[in-house]
Amino acid sequence: MRVDGVVTVARQEFTLRIRAGRWRWLLGTWFVLVSAFTVLVHLSVRASFHDATNKGVVVYGALVLFVLALALLVVPSLTGQSVNGDRERGTLATLQVTRLTALEIAVGKLVAAWGTALAFLALALPAVLYSVALGGIPVSRLVVVTVVVALLLGVVAALALCLSSLLARSTTSGVLSYLTVFAMTVGTLVVFGIGAAMSTEHYTEQTSCPTRQDLVDQGFPPEVLDRALADCRSTTYDGTRARTDHVWWLLAPNPFVIVADAAPQLPKETAAERRSRLSDERAGRYHEDLRHSDPLGAIGRGVRDLRKAPGSDTGRKPVWPFGLAFDLLLGAGAVWLTARRLHAPSRTLPRGQRVA
Amino acid sequence: MVATGVRRSFGPVEAVRGIDLTARPGEVTALVGPNGAGKTTLLLVLATLLVPDAGAVTVAGFDPVTQPDEVRARMGWSPDVFGLYDNLTCREYLEFVAAAMRLPRSTGEARARELLALARLEDQSDQPVHTLSRGQKQRLGLMRALVHDPAVLLLDEPASGLDPRSRVELRALLRDLAGQGKAVLVSSHLLADLEELSDRVVFVDRGLTVGEHAIDALPANTAAHPWRLRALDADGLVAALDRLAVPHGDPTPAGVDVQLAGDEAAADLLARLVRAKVPLVSCQPVGGHLEAAYLELTR
Repeated sequence: MRVDGVVTVARQEFTLRIRAGRWRWLLGTWFVLVSAFTVLVHLSVRASFHDATNKGVVVYGALVLFVLALALLVVPSLTGQSVNGDRERGTLATLQVTRLTALEIAVGKLVAAWGTALAFLALALPAVLYSVALGGIPVSRLVVVTVVVALLLGVVAALALCLSSLLARSTTSGVLSYLTVFAMTVGTLVVFGIGAAMSTEHYTEQTSCPTRQDLVDQGFPPEVLDRALADCRSTTYDGTRARTDHVWWLLAPNPFVIVADAAPQLPKETAAERRSRLSDERAGRYHEDLRHSDPLGAIGRGVRDLRKAPGSDTGRKPVWPFGLAFDLLLGAGAVWLTARRLHAPSRTLPRGQRVA
Repeated sequence: MVATGVRRSFGPVEAVRGIDLTARPGEVTALVGPNGAGKTTLLLVLATLLVPDAGAVTVAGFDPVTQPDEVRARMGWSPDVFGLYDNLTCREYLEFVAAAMRLPRSTGEARARELLALARLEDQSDQPVHTLSRGQKQRLGLMRALVHDPAVLLLDEPASGLDPRSRVELRALLRDLAGQGKAVLVSSHLLADLEELSDRVVFVDRGLTVGEHAIDALPANTAAHPWRLRALDADGLVAALDRLAVPHGDPTPAGVDVQLAGDEAAADLLARLVRAKVPLVSCQPVGGHLEAAYLELTR
């Protein structure tokens, strides 16, 4: 694979895209939608928590989830007909007889689609900066979330590209690429729910009586120790519980889970912030800190809790590295498969398909 | 370019069942046969797009299956569909193909200029492809195949949709390319064009090669074919034919048709008509020699 080959294909695809569609309208609509959403969320947050600090945490979190959802709707359409559409127009074969390799064509098409997706993302940037300006979002979170969202959009573009190379009809592959996005988002939730239900187990737990030393350590006064030890009966509990620690990984490929969990945690209250808060409180001014209402943090803590075994106290372990690695592998596999399908001369053709 | 025993089927359909073909440098080779005879499939095999099920193929000295890149660097292919991008201008399109052929940018720009001039598309250089007429698109498609100055040219129906002037120019261009030492393979149904243009002709029918001949040594036709006679005096011609007891058709402005079995029969009839002092102007197989041979070989 040569870089100039990829650039040739990508530039060509980009030019065609820009000239074919009503991009100004599409990008304009996107920009208005994202900006309006941000302003409305800000207004609602201001109305509900008038004196709250760090309003950016809520607005930014909601915006990230909104942009991700909207982008997952847009991106499949960018490559969903990339290869079979070219086949239908008869332009693919003339590309295949040039000296460009199949991988260069596949990667070039992906780069063009991904670049378009990133253009959409870039148009969301003013809204993102607006929300960050409301306070509470560290730069690290801004950077990590942006990078992870960009990577995930690349994965979705690669999957849609692959489907368009596998299927003869561009309408079929278009529909299937949306179903793929549906599977990644809603599908993972459904499968996780089923998996969690199936992981349900019976358990019995025995409570044991503390030793005298335990009670002393816990600060019980000596006069009640004997009574407490004498009254104590070890008991056995019966119950059922879902072992989500066995099935949490079913949720890991979900883009929303990955983005929320990958978002770095918000910094703890600094000493200076604490002093200023306490002095405000002494003066009777109470401010709610919206860092405690972090949507991304809540999702992240939620999935990390699912990963914990019952009774374990090892702390929360991250889920996103597994999900992101899985999705990236999926995307790389999709590109590889696309390149294989673009290889010429070919031995087999999809049913009902002409070479040229 | 050599193909021997090429076979290729699509599922249960055997598109090519055994085609042999040789196209030499400096010659125009015509590939002729009915629709569905396997011409396009064979061209796809030669153009490094399809793997043949069996048979040996060499294009410009390389195997299109195992050395496709070497073949592509030396081969130009123009399919029977345009395969153009509607939203690019003619110049952008040719420059894109040049880049895809890994030509340096400056070479690509120069090549695009030359080819647009050659295709008489200079005025349309900066217009998007979708504004071109059918014939102009056809010419642009042909220029695409020439961008990298290939030694071998594969042209599938290059003249369909071209106006008469463009067809004359296409003939001259292909002769010129053959004159530069290129091997040119043309598949077409326009037999009159091919007859003037080609050095050799390969007939295919139902996936098989049924004949491979030099154009000036087409097989003598033994079966009777219509030949058309024209004389200054049509009534005198008809009267002479009646005297010689040669069955003939009704005279039309184009001439009088008779059934003749091959060149020798024609020469014989001509000699007798000349002796009978008929002022003959021309005597030709209807549709040309190639059409006669085609009809004979592809029953």
